[in-house]
Amino acid sequence: MDAHFIYRRLHSLTGIVPVGLFLIYHLYIQLYLHSGAEVYNEVVNSFYDSPLALWVLALIVYIPLIFHSVYGAMITFEAQAQPNYHYFAHLLYWLQRLSGIGVLFFIIAHVWNAQLGPLMADTWGTHFEHLAEGFADPESGLVTKTVYVLGVLGATFHFANGINTFSITWGIALTPRSQLRMRVISVITFLVLTVSSFYALAAIW
Amino acid sequence: MSRMLKFKIKRQDSKDAAPYWEDFTVPYKSNSNVISCLMDIQANPVNSKGEKVSPVVWDCSCLEEVCGSCTMVINGQVRQSCSALVDKLEEPIRLEPMTKFPVVRDLAVDRSRMFDALKKVQAWVPADGYHDLGPGERISPEHQHVAYKLSECMTCGCCVEACPQYSKNNDFLGAAAMNQARLFIMHPTGKNLRNERLNVLMQKGGISDCGNAQNCVEACPKSIPLTESIADLGKQVSKQFWNNLFSS
Repeated sequence: MDAHFIYRRLHSLTGIVPVGLFLIYHLYIQLYLHSGAEVYNEVVNSFYDSPLALWVLALIVYIPLIFHSVYGAMITFEAQAQPNYHYFAHLLYWLQRLSGIGVLFFIIAHVWNAQLGPLMADTWGTHFEHLAEGFADPESGLVTKTVYVLGVLGATFHFANGINTFSITWGIALTPRSQLRMRVISVITFLVLTVSSFYALAAIW
Repeated sequence: MSRMLKFKIKRQDSKDAAPYWEDFTVPYKSNSNVISCLMDIQANPVNSKGEKVSPVVWDCSCLEEVCGSCTMVINGQVRQSCSALVDKLEEPIRLEPMTKFPVVRDLAVDRSRMFDALKKVQAWVPADGYHDLGPGERISPEHQHVAYKLSECMTCGCCVEACPQYSKNNDFLGAAAMNQARLFIMHPTGKNLRNERLNVLMQKGGISDCGNAQNCVEACPKSIPLTESIADLGKQVSKQFWNNLFSS
């Protein structure tokens, strides 16, 4: 057992716990967009009322997320294209890497847009209005909407397919049949999370 | 004039020479395979331009898809050339050496890395000495059913050739060696080396370098359940990981 093995296993684990669980929680919170500005802002801001909010953010979200994405990007560059082999799992292998890199850029833009930007402009707290204005902007609205749709799709795919590969890596799904069952679970996860987040986005479309 | 078969062969004159493509035409014979066509080229080494060239070099032995030595990339797909029937191949038939191993010459490659991987995972039953060890343990039909399939591996290289994680720049063991590690961990006597094998699999180049692309199992000419073997070892190293952390 060496550090390499531990890093790889940590990379696999952090994708599900805590990053994947945070994704589910985060997408669930967005359903409050349908409850209007007041409720949505209250729900989001109430999290930051906790004195431990920044610790929770750092330990449960940012540190695992940064580790998972930076290490994942390094793994991606070790891969060697095999364009002659057209198998479904191979397609998923490349989509997992493509979505990972795409979501990394999306998250950087997203954190800048939703967290750092408002903090620096001292408009922190009016999250609903900030999002809705961004979407309604006559110049950049369409770009923002497209980026959000792609970002959501990338994140839900990456997480759902990650459940599948996680279960193989840790030896949870051994046989082809059990791996097929796991694939069904990951397809359902992908559909539920994607439909739920598109429904959430529809509130401010 | 009888029908002619067109071949495009990627050639390389020596280890470090630059590769180049050369075209050949071979008289068609029904039921012939790629190797019989290569033998025709060897007998009459003249390329499509009519120039006399050095005969194409390749590796082969059993001619019945059990030794693995004639593995090459045929029309973009890695497989054994002995079982590649020309009637089922699209023309021109493109022959290339495997890309994951050093080329010795033309289509012959050096697969030492695969055999070294077998040594690393100690893919054998430890039974040294001349003294009488007594009868081996009995093996159940269920065990035999699983183990026989795993033992069909001929170290041909198809799994690692198709693998996006196995490259000349890294030291990944590859699916074949991991599958053998599983086979010998299963064996009632071979299991004595279980911990040593698992610890090798938990090093750089071991099981954690698998990316779950699952090309190995698709490319395997023997239909060995390689991904099942990898997942099985994944479970075993997960337990070993836990033991190493908290019970040792």
